[in-house]
Amino acid sequence: MIEYNNKRFLIVDDFTDFRSALTGMLRQMGVAHIDAAVNGEEALALCRKHTYDVILHDYNLGKGKNGQQVLEELHHDKLLSPHCIFIIISAESSQAMVMAALECEPDSYLTKPFNLASLQQRLDKLIAMKTVLHPVLDAQMRADHMAVLEACAAVIAAHPRYAPQCRRHQVTALAALGRRQDQERLLRSLISERPLPWALVALADLLRESGQLDHALTLYQDGIRQFPLIPALYDGLAATELARGNHEEAQQHLQQGLRISPNSLQRQERMGQIAQRNNDHEQAARAFRQAVDLGRNSLFRNPDNHLNLASSLTAQAGDGALGQRAVAEIRQTLGELDKTWRDDPALSVRSRLMQARTLDKSGHATEARRLAEQVAADVAQLESFFDAEVALQVAGQLRDLDQAGSADAVLATCAEMYGDDPEVLADIARHTDNPDILAAGSQALEWNRQAIRLYQQKNYAEALQRFRQALASQPRNISFALNTAQSLLRLIAADPKPELLAECERCLQQADGMPSNDHRRERYRKLRERLEQL
Amino acid sequence: MNDNDQEGLDFSTVLASTVHDMKNSLTLMMQSWAQWIERLPPELAQSGERGVIEYESLRLNGMLMQMLGLYKLQLNALPLRPDWVEVDDLLQAQLARHSEILQARQISSSYSIEHDELLHFMDEELISSVIANVINNSIRYTRTAIHLHAAQEDGQLMILVSDDGQGYPADMLGRYNTGARDADVTQSSTGLGLYFGQCIARLHQRNGRHGYIELSNGGQLGGGEFRLYLP
Repeated sequence: MIEYNNKRFLIVDDFTDFRSALTGMLRQMGVAHIDAAVNGEEALALCRKHTYDVILHDYNLGKGKNGQQVLEELHHDKLLSPHCIFIIISAESSQAMVMAALECEPDSYLTKPFNLASLQQRLDKLIAMKTVLHPVLDAQMRADHMAVLEACAAVIAAHPRYAPQCRRHQVTALAALGRRQDQERLLRSLISERPLPWALVALADLLRESGQLDHALTLYQDGIRQFPLIPALYDGLAATELARGNHEEAQQHLQQGLRISPNSLQRQERMGQIAQRNNDHEQAARAFRQAVDLGRNSLFRNPDNHLNLASSLTAQAGDGALGQRAVAEIRQTLGELDKTWRDDPALSVRSRLMQARTLDKSGHATEARRLAEQVAADVAQLESFFDAEVALQVAGQLRDLDQAGSADAVLATCAEMYGDDPEVLADIARHTDNPDILAAGSQALEWNRQAIRLYQQKNYAEALQRFRQALASQPRNISFALNTAQSLLRLIAADPKPELLAECERCLQQADGMPSNDHRRERYRKLRERLEQL
Repeated sequence: MNDNDQEGLDFSTVLASTVHDMKNSLTLMMQSWAQWIERLPPELAQSGERGVIEYESLRLNGMLMQMLGLYKLQLNALPLRPDWVEVDDLLQAQLARHSEILQARQISSSYSIEHDELLHFMDEELISSVIANVINNSIRYTRTAIHLHAAQEDGQLMILVSDDGQGYPADMLGRYNTGARDADVTQSSTGLGLYFGQCIARLHQRNGRHGYIELSNGGQLGGGEFRLYLP
């Protein structure tokens, strides 16, 4: 018998009647501690304050966040212990909804109406399972992957009925440990036993990520033959075709995945990007429109989807003038963008450039120029800068709107910040032939190269001198700032002079100006940690 | 379909979307009913009509689900999502689903299993709905008891639903699709349920072997016995 009087429950449902019916059932089971929330925001607030053993969450809560979005946010904010049981409850049975609910992988899924006996049976089973899996989940919470493997082996030996759950945890742990071969071996043995859909997807993904595209492709196709309605297989197929450079095929596969499960923000976003690349602006607009809709209450909402929707709508008009309907939708989309991300000057620049372009394409050339001039002035004042891809886009838009000077300035900053990356420099060269921009950093690059060599020879003091020179010449370059900080840390370790500490702090502050999605964020974070430990 | 149909109306699609709405309506009605019952005084709440309403709603729900399932099956759009399933858990859940009706009709229910840790690879939701429909049917024909049993036989999983009623008509007995006559799909909901069960069982396959259903009489409780075999 499971003791329910020491378990803490949270019920989330917007219907008073259902909340009270469910509360009644739980009381009959002996549950003493029940909290209730009427919407996702309330649920999240309660989860910040308390730790629940069981959360019963209605999928569709009217206007606000749905069950999937709440679950995603709980995971993201690390508010959900792996010991907690999260159950999605739903009354509707449309395929799109069921698919979306399943894709977010709750512990269980209940369809309304259900009776007391069914609820108790389900909970008894889940609690019994989580109790046995306790050591596995505990190790997982500590990110101790070796311990996860050991605990799994113990559970499989003592409780074979939970072997299927343990296999999944083992695969995750092996992946986290980077033991790809063991991971592959385990997945293959699972599949040879039975065609387990999740293992099929995991194996194919693993092969794709390690570059074995042909093998991955065969596996996805084989999976689809057996299970034609599992969206993850089409996602994988699309990613494989994309990696092989077959963009048209990728779009078609993604389309099939969307037909099965359209309520996935990430899938719609990917569809928009691929369709945009394939110049299928109609499809792109449709996908970005959905992504904007689905993102409204989601943690994963992304302002790029608004901007991309606007640019797809513009592109749909081709060389002709924009229709009234498109103009209205663009205006509304950008309005929502401005309202949602109010305090982001870099985003506001991009939004207004899109507005200017819309004005230009709908017969308001004068207003377009006026707005573009304002934006050009604001770009010069930006404290944080765009990532390289966006910077190139912005420069292109400025140029189209007759702001060549401002466009060049954006390219120059881009070259200064990211010019140590040859790919970025090549992209910049596609936008301009101006040697002042393209060659401005070449001396600094040479110093940086020499410094790296010195650093590798453990000659930290001389390496530092060269890094400093490079940084002084290109003060906004992120890599130079990080390199300088790293060699400073080397010297500080031997001799913690306060002026070196202060200089290191300045370098890191400078590097912190990088966009939030920059791949060097992680390196920055580690250096910052090391500085703070001193 | 009808070539002369100028509207291009695909009747099975219309039917399916209507059935879908009907199911959602029914769910709302059943929810409201449950809440209403909560507020009624016990002497009214425990009336005989309650059992009828609840049983018939479950039956209706099962039939609508079957129709949707068959529609999707026809389009090859019934998602098969198999995984390892704890068989005892599956049996318990089916009995729990019907607990009020079984109690109201004073039918005793039980299950047994060859060994506790029995796992089998199947689509839990689909197989659950097949078993639930058979139980629902047995509730109508049994006298006092329903028993579920699961065991492994020749590398296959066998799930049994037995009762102590009069049993199935003689010409329906045997393996489905091979007997003298299968239950007539157009004649009764029993027939539709069995047809659905056979389709779902067949979807499960391994090394060229397909699942199937079988009917017999006598069985563990002396009445009808439904057998589901999954490879």
